Amino acid sequence: MLSYTLKRLLTLLPTLIAASILVFLFVHLIPGDPAAVLLGDTATPQEIAALTREMGLDKPLWQQYTLWLSEVAKGNLGQSIFFKAPVTSIIADGAQTSILLATMTIFWIIIFGIPIGVLSATRQGSWVDQLTSGLAMFFASVPTFWLGLYLILIFAVGLGWFPSSGFPSIFDEGGISNLRYLLLPSLTLAAPNAALIIRLVRASMLDISREDHVRTARAKGLHPTKVAIKHVFRNALITVVAAFGFTFAALVSEAVVTETVFSLPGIGRLVVQSILRRDYPVIQGVILVIVVLYLFINLLVDLAYAMLDPRVSLK
Amino acid sequence: MALLEVKNLSVAIRQKQGLITVVDNLSFHVDENETLGIVGESGCGKSLTALSIMGLLQGSQVRITEGTVCFDGVDLLILGPAERRAIMGDQMAMIFQEPMTSLNPVYRVGDQIVEVLLQHLKLSRAAAKQRTLELLDLVRIPNPILQINSYPHQMSGGQRQRIMIAMALACSPRILIADEPTTALDVTVQKEVLDLMGELQRHTGTAIVLISHDLGVIAQTCDRVAVMYRGKIVETAATKALFADIRHPYTKGLLNSLPLVDGDVEWLDTIPGQVPGIETVLPGCAFQPRCAFADERCSYEKPNDIRVAGGHWARCHYAGQST
Amino acid sequence: MIFLSRLKAFASSRVLATLGMVWLGVIIFAAVTAPLLAPFDPTEIDPIARLSEPGSLYWFGTDHFGRDTFSRALFGARMAILIGSGSVIVALLLGGLVGMLSAYFTTLGHVFMRIVDVLMAFPALLLALVLMTLLERSVINTILVIGIVYASTTARILFGMTLKLKNEVFVDAARCSGAGHISLLFRHILPNLISPLLVQASFIFAFAQLQSAALDFLGLGLPPEMASWGNMLSEERIYVTRAPWLLIFPGALIILSVFSMNLVGDAMRDSIDPRFKNDIAGV
Repeated sequence: MLSYTLKRLLTLLPTLIAASILVFLFVHLIPGDPAAVLLGDTATPQEIAALTREMGLDKPLWQQYTLWLSEVAKGNLGQSIFFKAPVTSIIADGAQTSILLATMTIFWIIIFGIPIGVLSATRQGSWVDQLTSGLAMFFASVPTFWLGLYLILIFAVGLGWFPSSGFPSIFDEGGISNLRYLLLPSLTLAAPNAALIIRLVRASMLDISREDHVRTARAKGLHPTKVAIKHVFRNALITVVAAFGFTFAALVSEAVVTETVFSLPGIGRLVVQSILRRDYPVIQGVILVIVVLYLFINLLVDLAYAMLDPRVSLK
Repeated sequence: MALLEVKNLSVAIRQKQGLITVVDNLSFHVDENETLGIVGESGCGKSLTALSIMGLLQGSQVRITEGTVCFDGVDLLILGPAERRAIMGDQMAMIFQEPMTSLNPVYRVGDQIVEVLLQHLKLSRAAAKQRTLELLDLVRIPNPILQINSYPHQMSGGQRQRIMIAMALACSPRILIADEPTTALDVTVQKEVLDLMGELQRHTGTAIVLISHDLGVIAQTCDRVAVMYRGKIVETAATKALFADIRHPYTKGLLNSLPLVDGDVEWLDTIPGQVPGIETVLPGCAFQPRCAFADERCSYEKPNDIRVAGGHWARCHYAGQST
Repeated sequence: MIFLSRLKAFASSRVLATLGMVWLGVIIFAAVTAPLLAPFDPTEIDPIARLSEPGSLYWFGTDHFGRDTFSRALFGARMAILIGSGSVIVALLLGGLVGMLSAYFTTLGHVFMRIVDVLMAFPALLLALVLMTLLERSVINTILVIGIVYASTTARILFGMTLKLKNEVFVDAARCSGAGHISLLFRHILPNLISPLLVQASFIFAFAQLQSAALDFLGLGLPPEMASWGNMLSEERIYVTRAPWLLIFPGALIILSVFSMNLVGDAMRDSIDPRFKNDIAGV
C-alpha cells in the first residue's frame, strides 16, 4: 500500500508542476505589465518598480517561476489589491465557510444518494425506481442557482424557516447553531450531485447484478437484501468511489455559484468577486489552492479505489 | 422414494410472440448417492431446468408454468422464499459453468466459503474457518492456510472451480447440481475436476445432477443418463444400458459426434441441420426435421415414451425396434 | 433473457429520447423563427407595463424594464442553440482530434494527454471562469471557453476508444492493404466512433446550457444586454418575490433543454457498442 501511495504521488508530480506553471502564467496572460496587473489601477510607478524587483519580474520567466514557487512554498501567495492584505489570510478566512459547506453537502450526497440509488436498483422497473430515476435526471438538469433561488423564495422568504443569506462564523455569537445558515446552500449544492450518485449507484448495481458471482451468492441461500448489499452494492461501490473525484470537481464549480446565490463568505464567492474586481493575486491564489486540493482528492480517491478493489494493488 | 423428483416441469420464456415453452413437461428423478447426467445441445433447456430446480430463475421474462420439483418429498415450488433459501446452499448446492466469474472478485475465497457455512450452520467464525481449511484440503487446493486468504483473481480457472466445489460441498448437501462444471476448463484440468467430484461423491454420498453437452463426460461419470432435446427428455437409461443399446436417433447422433467433442459447432456437422428456433411449432416429433430415419408419421404424430427395457425409455415411434 | 429486458428498456428509452428530440426541434424552430413569432421586440422597454403578470397580452409576463418575457425567451432559444452547438463543435473538433491523434501516434500522445491531464486538474466551471477573465464577454468567447473545457474530457474519451480500435483486426487489414495514416484514422477508425461521438455531443450540449447559464448568472458569460435564458434569470432575480414568473419561464426552458438532451444521450448510450458504453460519463 505504501509503495502504491508513493508511486501515485510520483505520477501526480508532473501534473502538479504543469498546473502550477499554468497558474503562474495566468498573470502574464493578462494584457499589461504583470506588476501593474498585480498591483491594480491605483499603483504608483514606485510601487510597480518595487514589486518588479521583489518578484524578479525583470528576470527570465523560468527564474520568475522558481522565485514565485519558493514564495508559494513559504505560504506567500502575494497581496490582494482590493483587501490590501495577504492572499493566504483571505483564503483562510473563506476556507471555514467553504469547508463546512462542503462537509454538509457531502453528508447530504451520501445519505440521500446512496440509499436512494440502492433502492432504485433493487426495485428496478417499479414505480419507486421510475420516480427516483426521473427525479434524479431532473435534479441533474437543474441549474444550481435556479434551485437555490427557489429554495430561498420558499423556505427563507415564504416560510421563514431558514436565513436566506450570509453565514456568521460558528466561532461568533450563535456558535454551532449558525450552521442553519448553511442548510439551504448545502441542500442546493447536494441536489445535482446526489442525483449523479443515485444514477451512478443504480447503473453500476444493475451492471453488477448481472454478473455470475451474484448468482453464486443467491445459490448460497443468502437473503436478497444481503445479496444486494454485500455482493452487489459492495462491488458497485468501487465505481462510485472512482467517480468521487468528478463529484468533487462538480462540487467546486457549483459551490462558486451557490456561495454567490446565498452570499456566503466562502472561497467560491471570493473568486467570483475577485474576478469582477480584477483582484488578480487573489484569483491566482484561489485557483492554485483548488487545483492542489483537487489533485490531492484524486490521490485519495485512487487510494480508496485500490483498497476497495483487491485486483488493483497488483498492477 | 427418490431424493429429487421432477414431475411435468414446464418453463416458459416471455417473448414478443407470447409465452414460449422451453422446458416442456419434463419428468425425471434422482436417487440418493446417484449421479444423473443430463446431456443435450446448448439451448435444449438443460440449464433452465437446473436453475428451476435450484430456485435461481430470475427476471420477469422466465417462469415455471407447470409441474412439481419434490425434494425429499416436499414440493420446492410451493415453498415460501425463506423456506426455499434455507435449503439453497445447505441441502442443495450448485456449481456453475464459469469458474472465472462465479466468485466475487472483492472477497477472499476463504471468506466466500465461510459465508455459506455461517449462513446455514451454527458455527463460530473460528470453527467456520477451520472447516473451510478442511474443505480446501478436501478439494486439493495446495497449501490451504495460505490460499484461504487468496483473492479469486490470484487463482487459475481449475483452482477456482475447486473453490466452487468446496463452497457447494460446505454444508454437506444431499444433492449437487453441476451445470457444465468443466466446459470452461482445459482438457487436463477437466479430468482432474471430474475425478475429484466422483471421489467426493463416494465419500459423502451426495447425489449429483451433472449437466453437460459432452456425452463423453457423462459416460465417464454418471450412473444414469437423460438425453434432452428441445425441452424434452428423448431417451433415458442407466449409462451402461444406454450405450449398449441406443434407441433414439438423436442419442446416436450425439454418440457419433463424440470424437469431435470440442464445442457446439462440431455437433451440427454430425447431426444434420440445426435445432429449429424455440418459437417454431412442430406438429410431430421435434427431432423429425433433422432425423435420418424419419418417415411421414414422424411429421404429424408426436411420439410417446416407449419402454425399451427396465428403466430404459426412448421418445421415438421406432424405439421398439432394435437397430 | 437479459437481451429481452434490454430490448424493452431500449424501446421505452426510445420513447423518452424521441420526446427529447421533439423538444430540441421546438427550440430550434423557436430560434429560427423568433423574429416572426415574437409578439414584441425583445429589447423594447415599456415602463408602464413593468412586472406585468402573465396574461393574454404578455404570455410569460414582463420584466422590470417592461420587456416581454415570451419574446425574450424566444430570442433566448437562439442563444441556447448557438452556445450549445458551438460548444459541441469546438469540443468535438478539438478534443476529438487531440484524442484520436494521441492514441494513434503514441509519442505525440504522451505529450498531448499530459496537457489534457493538466487541464482536467481544473474543475470545469473554474477553468471557464479563469478563461473568461482573460477574455471579453461575448458569444464567441463563451462558446470557445465552454468548448475548450469539454474538449479535455472529449479528448480523454476518444483517446481510450481509439486505443481499443487501433488494435482491431479490421484496422490491421486496412493497414496491410496499404492504407495511409490519414486514411486509417478518418476512413477506418473514425466511422466506428461516430455514434459514441453523437452521445458525447448530446451530453456536451446539455452541459453547455448549464455552464453558460451559470456564467451568465455570475456576470461572466454573454454580454448583459443579450436575451439569453441565463441573463434573464440573472437580471431579474432580485424581483423574484414580486414577479416569480420571471424565474419560472427561463428556468423551465433551461431545465427542459438540459433534461431533453440528457435523455437523448442516455438512450443513445444504451444502444451503442457495449465496449464504449462505460467510457462516456454523461450525467
